[in-house]
Order: sequence, then C-alpha cells, then structure tokens
Amino acid sequence: MMEMLSIPFVQKALIGGVVLSILLSLLSLFIVVKNWSFISVGISHATFGGLAIGLYLGINPTFTGFLFATFTGLLIGYISKNSNLKEDISIGILFSFSMAIGIIFIMKTSNYTSDLFTFLFGDILTITSLDIKLLICFTVFVGIYLFLFFNKLMFCCFDEEVAYTTGIKTNFYYYSLIVIIAIATVLSVKLVGVILASAMIILPASFASLFFWHYKKILIFGSLTSVVMIITGIFVSYYLDFPPGAFIVSLYSAVFMLGLFIKKVLLSR
Amino acid sequence: MEILKIENLTVEINGNVILDKINLSINKGEIVAIVGPNGGGKTTLLKSCLGFIKPKKGEIAILSKSPKEAIKTGKIGYLPQKQDLNKENFLSALDVVLFGLINKKLSKKEKKEIALNALKQVGMDRFAYYPFSKLSGGQQQRVSIARVIVQKPEIVFFDEPSTGVDVVAQEGFYEFIKKLRDETGLTIVMVSHDIGVIGSFVDKVVGLNKYLHYLGDIRGFLQRDILEKLYGAEVKLLIHSPECVSCENFHLEFRK
Ligand SMILES: Nc1ncnc2c1ncn2[C@@H]1O[C@H](COP(=O)(O)OP(=O)(O)OP(=O)(O)O)[C@@H](O)[C@H]1O
Ligand SMILES: [Mg+2]
Repeated sequence: MMEMLSIPFVQKALIGGVVLSILLSLLSLFIVVKNWSFISVGISHATFGGLAIGLYLGINPTFTGFLFATFTGLLIGYISKNSNLKEDISIGILFSFSMAIGIIFIMKTSNYTSDLFTFLFGDILTITSLDIKLLICFTVFVGIYLFLFFNKLMFCCFDEEVAYTTGIKTNFYYYSLIVIIAIATVLSVKLVGVILASAMIILPASFASLFFWHYKKILIFGSLTSVVMIITGIFVSYYLDFPPGAFIVSLYSAVFMLGLFIKKVLLSR
Repeated sequence: MEILKIENLTVEINGNVILDKINLSINKGEIVAIVGPNGGGKTTLLKSCLGFIKPKKGEIAILSKSPKEAIKTGKIGYLPQKQDLNKENFLSALDVVLFGLINKKLSKKEKKEIALNALKQVGMDRFAYYPFSKLSGGQQQRVSIARVIVQKPEIVFFDEPSTGVDVVAQEGFYEFIKKLRDETGLTIVMVSHDIGVIGSFVDKVVGLNKYLHYLGDIRGFLQRDILEKLYGAEVKLLIHSPECVSCENFHLEFRK
C-alpha cells in the first residue's frame, strides 16, 4: 500500500480523482434537481466528436472537446427552453450526430485505437500534472461561483419564472450552469471516458437523495461517497489490473443499487 | 394612485388572439379579482403584466415602468398557478420562504426570523423544517404565500391562490389577504374561481374571457346577464355565508 502511494502516477490519479469527484458532486445536485441527466449525457457524447476532430486536425483534443461540449450544452439548453420539440428527441439526434462525426474522424486518424479507447473509457492513471492543474483551477472557480450564487441558482431551480419576477437574471444562471457542466464533463472524460462521464455526475446526488432530502446533506454525503468510491476504485483496479474508469462506475452503480435496496426493503419496514 | 395601467392590450400566442383590447387601471391598495372561464386568458394577462409575454399591441405600466423594468425593483410578488407539486427540490419550507428575501441586505439570522414569522402568519410554522415537496398542495400554497409576503412587494399577482386550500379554508384565506392589504397597503391582483366567496373581500372584479366583459364591484358582476355573457352557459351560484358555523374553526386558524 505505502509502496503504491509512492508511485507518481498513482499519486496523480488519486489527487485528480478526489478533486474531480468533489467537483462533480457539487454539480450533481443541480443535475438531479433540474432533472438534467439527459443534458449531461448529451454533452459527454458530444465531447467525443470534439476530441476526435481535434485529434484528426492535430489540435489539442481537450480544446476542441471544450468547444463541442459547450456548444452542444448551450444548444440543448436553448432547445429545451424555447422549443416544443421534446428534449430527449433533440438530444438523441444531437449526440448521435456528434458521436457519428467522431467515429468518422477517428477512423481517418492514423494510429487511432489507443486514443479511441482513452476517449471512450478514460484512463485515470495517465492523468498529467497539467490536467490536475486545470482541474484544480476549475474546481476553485466553480467553488467561488457556487459560493456567490448558490441561493440564486437554487431559486432558479425551484421555480425559474418566480425567480425571474423577483429580478433575478435567470438566463445568466441557466446558461452559466450549463457551460460549467460542459467544462466539468470534458475534464472528467480523462478519468472515466465519454460513456461513463455522465454517470459520475448523476450518481452522487442521486445516491445521497436515497437517504437525505435536504440539499446541504446531499452535497456533503454525495461528495464523501464519491471520494470514497474513486479512491477505492483506483486502489482496487491498480492491484487487480482492472480498467479504473469502468471499475469505478460499476462499483458506484452497484453501491447505488444496494442503497436503493436497503432503502426500499429494509428501511421502509 | 395608479399602480397598474393596461391600455388597449392585445396578446397573441402562436397566432391566436388570446386577449383583445383590454383596458384596465388598478389603484394602490386595491384588491382586484380576475374571474372568467378556463382558457379565458387570466393567466396570460398576469404573465403579460410580469413581462413573460410580449404584447402584440398596447401598453402595460406597473409602478409607472414597463414590466421588464418593474421586475428589477423586486417590488412585485408572484404566485403562479398550481405548480409541479411533487417535484423533488431538496428544500425545506423555510428555504422556500427565504427565497423571498434573496435580494434583501439582511443578516442570515434576521432573514430566518422574518421567514419563520411569515410561516407563523400562514399557519405553517410547524412545517418550517419539513421538505417542501412532501407538503400537501394547500400547504405548499401557504408556504408560497409566505414567500411572497416577506418580499414586501408593492403589488402581488396571485394566480388561483386558493387552489388546494380547502373550501372551509378559503374564506379564512381571503380574510388573511384583506388584513394584509389593510396593514401594508399592498395591491393585490388575483385570479380566482371562488366567485361565491370573494364578494366581501374584493374592491373590483374583472370579468375576462378574451375581452374584458366586466369591470366593477361584485354586486354588479353577479347579475345573471353578465355571468351568462362571461361564462356562456346558464350559471347557478352558491353564495357562501360568512355566518356558517362550521367554518369558524378555520378562520381562527388562518387569523392566528
Ligand atoms: N404557451 C401557450 N401555448 C399555446 N397556447 C397557450 C399558451 N398559453 C396559453 N395558451 C392559450 O391561451 C388561452 C388562455 O390560457 P390561460 O392559461 O391564460 O387561461 P386561464 O384563463 O388562465 O385558464 P384557467 O382558468 O384554466 O387557468 C388558452 O386557450 C390556452 O390554450
Ligand atoms: Mg390560468
């Protein structure tokens, strides 16, 4: 154990994992309250298209990933706010489109297989110092944003129309939250990959809400659970040589289902 | 003093005329009930006053400002028509009332005190730390009213505020609103279907069904021809008596 902790890439994975899990747990509250799981699924899949194009053009894929994720997030947000088109339909089309583009470009890129796998499933053990710095900066930024605007954001989530009539700039909060979720999604792709990124942002608050109903407890309990899951996941997958992203998400989902079972069967008696 | 003025208002939604040539003027401290059949445009009128819907024609002035500007003053209260009740929001009743104080520069402690006091006024103080989404429809409505009260607005728009409030409670509720007006000079514009009950509490009745069919006091409104013009069919009215003995309990509760 001690020996493992002295390995630099394990250290990085642990630091990155803990910071990321806190970041996603904070945002998770809003995803669950707003019923936005579809937005995070849409964004994470769209990120794939962005990453692939970046790779093909020889631009930093994280950068093109940001562009795609932000653009898709804003578009989904705009559609669900302003159109009668059903949200899941527009998102379904949008993210299949982005995935399809991604697949075309990645197949056209020579030596694609390793990158493809990293994008799809992530690899936290390859996280770089730069990734960690970015992640910490962004998490601090989100922390400040939430500290300043938390009540207003919750008011908008509670009832956007009412919030608007008290003079709150609801559009600003709506779209800024979407952009933040988009950026967080891109950052978590490195950890767990496109396919599983949305799980990491939906699970914390969903799991906590099995046992608590007040947002303060959901934030605290959700973050703690996430941190424990990620640390456990990294250790176990290191020793057993499992793919960490997939293992963390399976573990977390299993724990969620166990929680659901405990709540429904044991606590409801 | 005129607090709301609507001039020649026409509103279209998706090309359909929902409101046509509405003229209405409301003075400070008045209690005005907007009544009319379902789909008559009552909610649309409120939403136009709040700046959600842009009129096709005409002008709306609240507090001598356009709706968009007036909202920025924080002096306008709004209670929407029955919301998505069981939506999980992780908030306590107290949290919801505190939203009404979001723009006020007060300490946390002061805010909490004001909010708890307002919950007491609507008979919901026992539920301050209870999940809002688990309250009954009528209880949620009361909490939402507390949220509006703490905002200390100059004018409030209530869209069917007595929805979910039980029949016996309705009178107590309207008495409560009236007392609020008497104490604070608040202007109250509310949509209501309780035309049998509101009589003794409102200053003006607005009969709305696409056009403004009636504007005046309740007695004039309750004429058969007016009602038939507004609702289209033959209308039977049950007037609720304030002397009703079994209602007394509730009155007391809401007055507390
Ligand atoms: N967003 C919308 N899209 C399309 N039509 C709408 C929309 N909002 C309102 N309408 C139409 O406008 C008309 C008036 O609706 P409104 O909600 O103002 O009625 P109301 O008087 O409040 O009715 P109720 O008593 O049922 O609450 C209705 O015919 C409704 O179909
Ligand atoms: Mg209505």
